[in-house]
Amino acid sequence: MNDNARATQEAVITADGVSFSYRSGEYVSRGVREINLEVMRGEFLVILGRNGSGKSTLAKLLNGFLVPDTGKVTVLGTDTSDDDKVYEVRSKVGMVFQNPDNQMVASVIENDVAFGPENLGIPREEIEKRVTAALEIVGMSEYRKGSPNKLSGGQKQRIAIAAILAMLPEVVILDESTAMLDPKGRREIMETVLKLNREKGMTVVLITHYMDEAIEADRIFVMNDGEIVSSGAPREVFADAESLKAAGLELPAASRISLKLAEAGYDVPFAITDEELADSVCRLK
Amino acid sequence: MKDVTLGQYYPGESFTHKMDARAKLVLVIAFIVMVFLAKNFLSYIAVMLCVIGAVLVSRIPVSKMLKSIKAIIMILIFTGLLNLMFYNGETVYWSWWRFNVSLEGIIFSVKMVLRLVLLVMGTTLLTFTTTPTGITDGMESLMTPLKYIKVPVHDIAVIMSIALRFIPILSEEVDKIMMAQKARGASFDTGGLVSRAKALLPILIPLFVSAFRRADELAMALDARCYNATPNRTRYQVMKFGWRDLLGALGTAAFVVLVVALNNNFWGAYRAVESVWWLFAV
Repeated sequence: MNDNARATQEAVITADGVSFSYRSGEYVSRGVREINLEVMRGEFLVILGRNGSGKSTLAKLLNGFLVPDTGKVTVLGTDTSDDDKVYEVRSKVGMVFQNPDNQMVASVIENDVAFGPENLGIPREEIEKRVTAALEIVGMSEYRKGSPNKLSGGQKQRIAIAAILAMLPEVVILDESTAMLDPKGRREIMETVLKLNREKGMTVVLITHYMDEAIEADRIFVMNDGEIVSSGAPREVFADAESLKAAGLELPAASRISLKLAEAGYDVPFAITDEELADSVCRLK
Repeated sequence: MKDVTLGQYYPGESFTHKMDARAKLVLVIAFIVMVFLAKNFLSYIAVMLCVIGAVLVSRIPVSKMLKSIKAIIMILIFTGLLNLMFYNGETVYWSWWRFNVSLEGIIFSVKMVLRLVLLVMGTTLLTFTTTPTGITDGMESLMTPLKYIKVPVHDIAVIMSIALRFIPILSEEVDKIMMAQKARGASFDTGGLVSRAKALLPILIPLFVSAFRRADELAMALDARCYNATPNRTRYQVMKFGWRDLLGALGTAAFVVLVVALNNNFWGAYRAVESVWWLFAV
């Protein structure tokens, strides 16, 4: 089901031996160490990790918010440490944050979505088109003239995604954008993200600690303690339960149940989605 | 809870609602000048007619307008009384210690109160018919010339816009913190003034902490959206002067001319009315 057909062999973001640590005075805290990764055009990449694993630091390195101490991050051939290209990098790698309330600047939704393109100096007629298109993609067109105050968390976060899309980025990074939402809001965001990736061919990097959000990914990177501890397709990564456990992560419910059933002697293969599990359980005699 | 972002805005589709925010801002300034120009009762009547006309055109209910006056009733009473007592008039009716009530004093304090009432009515008409966002946009547009003397006009506009955006969020936060502190046994509505003020401290500190955290995240979100990427920023919202704005400007100008004319005893009208007034008063 995770056909890699959308993902191309062209890397949009490359991290090469990247290390970074936070310093304040004498105190040095660990950030990330020796990260090597490539984000391919059109892929849906998930970076998994528990709190403090360095996954957010990595996200901020990918769009130039942070500049690596050693190593190099390139976005479409541009080095993120190049001060003259800061805005070029940021407009190409859009970032959606955790708290939906803290990323909106205007009291009217369409004005908020227009804020990014305005900053880039896009002509008015073009902004109009982009706002319409972006709100359409996230399914919020009818709220265009409304106020963000009355929206649910999921809806606000969809507006935040639209606001990034209006800048026509090449990659969208969601930095724990589902962490503060209720289950319904999380579902809304996951549906939006999948639609973006599958239908619009957008490259998506999703940073999360929820395993079930990683199921649909093309590739997963698991982070622990500032390092990438495993990577690959979801099925491969989930199969290695031990290293996931070491990284402080828990398998999705379907996987856990399938493992337990297999342990108890039933002929149930390792499952990662609920559907798979249901299928194999139904086939049991 | 009432939507705070809308402030005093009274939604409507009237002539005044559809006017350009910039035009309304300029006209309000013209109106304030008009009020201060008015010297005698006839010109005050002209200003009053202007306000009544504007209220009718904006279709704001009269009760709503009166409420805005109610808000300043204490100020009105104070201004009236002080002017009444301390005005050094010729025709003294009553005097005690340093207080004198004179005919001139009565006339003066009536004028002062009238002036305040008219000022408040005229300016609230702006906030009743324009959204805060509209006012912000209008102010930014009007301040554009200041760019040439290096005033960061756009930054000011963004700050105002963000402030408007965060007022409801922070007020919601205050509610949450209050509930959390109440759950821990705090009490906000008992005791004297001092203990009540002290009780606010456990609300203010978490509020500040959270406001700073929000500011931090917001700064990053602004960066992510390329704020300040180019000095040639474009505007999505366009404002257009229309026939309504022209009409409004002409109307206001007519009233300013009328007020000035009446101030200068045009046609001796003032003298006639004033003599009637004196007769009546004496």
